[in-house]
Amino acid sequence: MGVVYIGDRATGKTHLALELTNPRHEHVKVTSPDYDQLKLLLLDENSMSKPTDTLKPYQRYLEMNVQLPSGNKRVELDWIDTGGEVWRGNWQRDNSDKWKDYIEPIRQSEGILLILPPHRGMTFQPGVDTQEFPTEQQWCNRFETWVTFFCDQCPQIRHLAICLNKADLFCDLSQEGKKLAYRPYNSPCNWQQRHEHVLKKYFRPVYSQIRRLGEGMSSPSVKCFITSIYHRGLLELPWIYLGSFLGK
Amino acid sequence: MSNIHIIGPQAAGKTTYLAALAYQPETSRSPVRQANIKVKTLNEETRELVDKAENIIVEGASLEPTQKYVKTIDDLKVYSFLIEIKRKWQNLERLQLTVRDYPGEVFKELESGSRDPIHEEFMNECLSADTQGCLILLTEWEQGIDKFYKRAFRRFIALMDEQQRLQNLRLAIAMSKCERGELWPGRLDPESDLFAIHFPDTLRFLRDNIPPTNLEFYAISAFGVLGNKDPRPNRKEELGKKDRYSVLRDPEKWSPYCLVSPLYWLSTGKRIQGYV
Repeated sequence: MGVVYIGDRATGKTHLALELTNPRHEHVKVTSPDYDQLKLLLLDENSMSKPTDTLKPYQRYLEMNVQLPSGNKRVELDWIDTGGEVWRGNWQRDNSDKWKDYIEPIRQSEGILLILPPHRGMTFQPGVDTQEFPTEQQWCNRFETWVTFFCDQCPQIRHLAICLNKADLFCDLSQEGKKLAYRPYNSPCNWQQRHEHVLKKYFRPVYSQIRRLGEGMSSPSVKCFITSIYHRGLLELPWIYLGSFLGK
Repeated sequence: MSNIHIIGPQAAGKTTYLAALAYQPETSRSPVRQANIKVKTLNEETRELVDKAENIIVEGASLEPTQKYVKTIDDLKVYSFLIEIKRKWQNLERLQLTVRDYPGEVFKELESGSRDPIHEEFMNECLSADTQGCLILLTEWEQGIDKFYKRAFRRFIALMDEQQRLQNLRLAIAMSKCERGELWPGRLDPESDLFAIHFPDTLRFLRDNIPPTNLEFYAISAFGVLGNKDPRPNRKEELGKKDRYSVLRDPEKWSPYCLVSPLYWLSTGKRIQGYV
């Protein structure tokens, strides 16, 4: 069993997972694998992520310590990264055998991190080329297919963390980081408050779908996050949340 | 040592109940504290429950359903507690309890009559000769649920009979999540003000089939309300979960209600004073 990263192409799944292993940590310390080794493996000479192979899910053992209110907990996981290509309908139709290799680990996983890109309806920082991102309508339509996927294909999954990635492009990272900050003792807010803040501020166009997702899944655990590789606190939040359940 | 088993429908709050019992939030309103009762955890699994309360419930999230990790009877956790009760002019009373928490699907199958071999194994263990009693948590009270509960109890009582436990197994039937506004006023006399109102057929059926000395009714709340003079529930619903899952609204005011009383009665056959 493990934690699976899923999301469309170029949403930053691999980079997000890689950056988690960065030794400059706050409350999540990855003890294995090594950041520099992983970097060589996953990034090209321009420090860009190599596209993830679509032949099979990319599986790696990950070991981390998460600092929780009751103390440090050890989390051991199979980190499974999936290529964005596999979420295209025509890929799934053309590769029905390979698709089975993907769907099984997802169904069996203890947690899923769904990585979403920003959309053009957001207020971006100056200089961002908004054409790189889907329109708000396209984004909502895509989200709808994710909801159908989770409700129909894997209603039994234990934890779903929906991460709106590349938050550095559309919000003030330090302000949001401070607001959502996690501290093992006396956090300014709890998981429900963080979820509500992110939901209302960034997921408003798909509020009803998230409600439906809650109704369609047997587990209580659907939480929304914003993430960025440029803010360690926000990057760690989904893992601290998962660590609260999966830590030993 | 007493063996107690907890069953009830999915999302009835069985594990949250045990987590609240193990964690014992340190608030001055705590009835357990006021009654000079100490709850101690005796094994690693129960201490894990304390960690879950601290890392998940206090942090504003819900525990995951037990079924998610229970695949065989060996996955079923055994929680072990020592309850110490200090009363004026009396010796310290010590109760050691071993509690098992079954996935909600077991209760559902009682009603449907289907028999999953694993769940059958659970039931055999639950009704074995060394079990003192069962705490059965019910949570929903919408129209039609009375019939559902009655069918489940009919099957449960038939199984008790098969195992020759009909006359010698205590059943504590509890309405859980009683912090909810519609239920809170009925907590003082749950048999009359909750069960007779919401589940009259189930109540009649139980009274007709279980000896009165082996049957008690309780109202319990793992979250409690916000204050002695503030009866608003200390809970907040999870989005899209229609009352099934909720989180603690204010951890500073966490004061569970009536967690020890049913276990004390199941273990000793005597009622403890107050609603601790």
